Amino acid sequence: MLGAVVAAMSRPPEPFQPPGTEIFDYTKNCLFGSGSYCVTRVSFWMLASVVLILAVFLLAFRRPGLVPRGLQNAVEALVDFIRNGIVMEVIGPEGLPFVPFLTSMFVFIWVNNTFEVIPGIQFPTTSRMAIPLFLAVLVWFLFNIVGIVKQGGWRYLKNNLFPAGVPPALYVLVTPIEFVSTFLVRPLTLSVRLAANMIAGHLILAIFFLGTWYLQWKLATIPFAVASFALGTFITAFEILVAVLQAYIFTILTAVYLAGAIHPEH
Amino acid sequence: MLHALVLAAEEAPNPILPDPAELIYGSLAFLLVFVVLARFAFPVINRMLQERTAKIQGDLERAERARSEAESELADYRAQLAGARAEANRIIEEARRTAEQLRRDLQARAEQETQATIARAQEEIRAERDRVFDELRSQVGQLAVDLASRVVEKELDDAAHRRLIEEYIEQVAGSGNGKGRSAG
Repeated sequence: MLGAVVAAMSRPPEPFQPPGTEIFDYTKNCLFGSGSYCVTRVSFWMLASVVLILAVFLLAFRRPGLVPRGLQNAVEALVDFIRNGIVMEVIGPEGLPFVPFLTSMFVFIWVNNTFEVIPGIQFPTTSRMAIPLFLAVLVWFLFNIVGIVKQGGWRYLKNNLFPAGVPPALYVLVTPIEFVSTFLVRPLTLSVRLAANMIAGHLILAIFFLGTWYLQWKLATIPFAVASFALGTFITAFEILVAVLQAYIFTILTAVYLAGAIHPEH
Repeated sequence: MLHALVLAAEEAPNPILPDPAELIYGSLAFLLVFVVLARFAFPVINRMLQERTAKIQGDLERAERARSEAESELADYRAQLAGARAEANRIIEEARRTAEQLRRDLQARAEQETQATIARAQEEIRAERDRVFDELRSQVGQLAVDLASRVVEKELDDAAHRRLIEEYIEQVAGSGNGKGRSAG
């Protein structure tokens, strides 16, 4: 890590080496421990996000007041947003038991996304497939189990694969599409959407700021370095928004899947 | 399969394939967040929200109750006020009627008394006049008799006697010719 800092401070090699997918791979650089299951930089921040989230939540409700103030107010606003903005809107009152799960998911994704722009961290841990895939698979199990419990196994399958209001002849076409989209594609799109967005964001930021570093060594290219830095700063602000947006999309899609499992008619 | 993935990740880092170590730490991280929040934070949050809902609802209900009470009280007061006003009007009207009646009675009695007084006065005047008249008549008679007796005593000579008789006869004879001649 120290070597990386020294290397970054020195003059970059000619010509410009654009960053690639290798900037996401920390699997060989152990922070703690050794071997292939050591705690890398990525794992460290994943675990640090837990401490951060739990600290904020437990601190906010350490001495809860009926009239919320400060941190409690902020956290309550967040929970209220998930509860009324997502669960009540998408699922309805039957979805209220899922508020803790969806809130945990939203906050966890949001914090791990936002690591992308935090100085000193500057790495979205959700750009690694681990968290998105795990969450997507968890959601897949969750909505299928909820559907089977709420509607019964056979009816759940029937409602999904043979949607009402479709002419029977079209089932030849509709049923395979529904099967693929509901049971195969959902976890894939859910996880890849999140990971790909964060990969793209991190890559763009890396390109612009590495470009700034590369361009400021020559007097002639300093204006381009300034432009590159300005654009990088703008994209940083944009990525703050993307971090919230992707967490929101992941959460609301989960709520939509749960709603479909709870109410047969979409 | 996990082993195959590890091998694949070691050979060429594919961003779509998860690193097993990261998968374990990431999953652990999320489960930790979810379990602790669901176990410790959300009971407090839900209790808080419920208490707040109950409090706001209770406050609203109390306010509504107080408002309806105040309204009914206001209606009561209004009704009482209207009753009092009607009562006052009734009393005033009655007083006016009583006063009018009294005035009329007094007026009638005064008139009556006046009439009675006038009648009595007239009666008295008439009685007095009659009495004076009677008294006067008797005195005049007496006087005439006295005078006559004195005349008769003093001057009853032959000539006068004759004239008297003549006058008398003339008076009786020409009673329709008036007294003027008798006086002259």
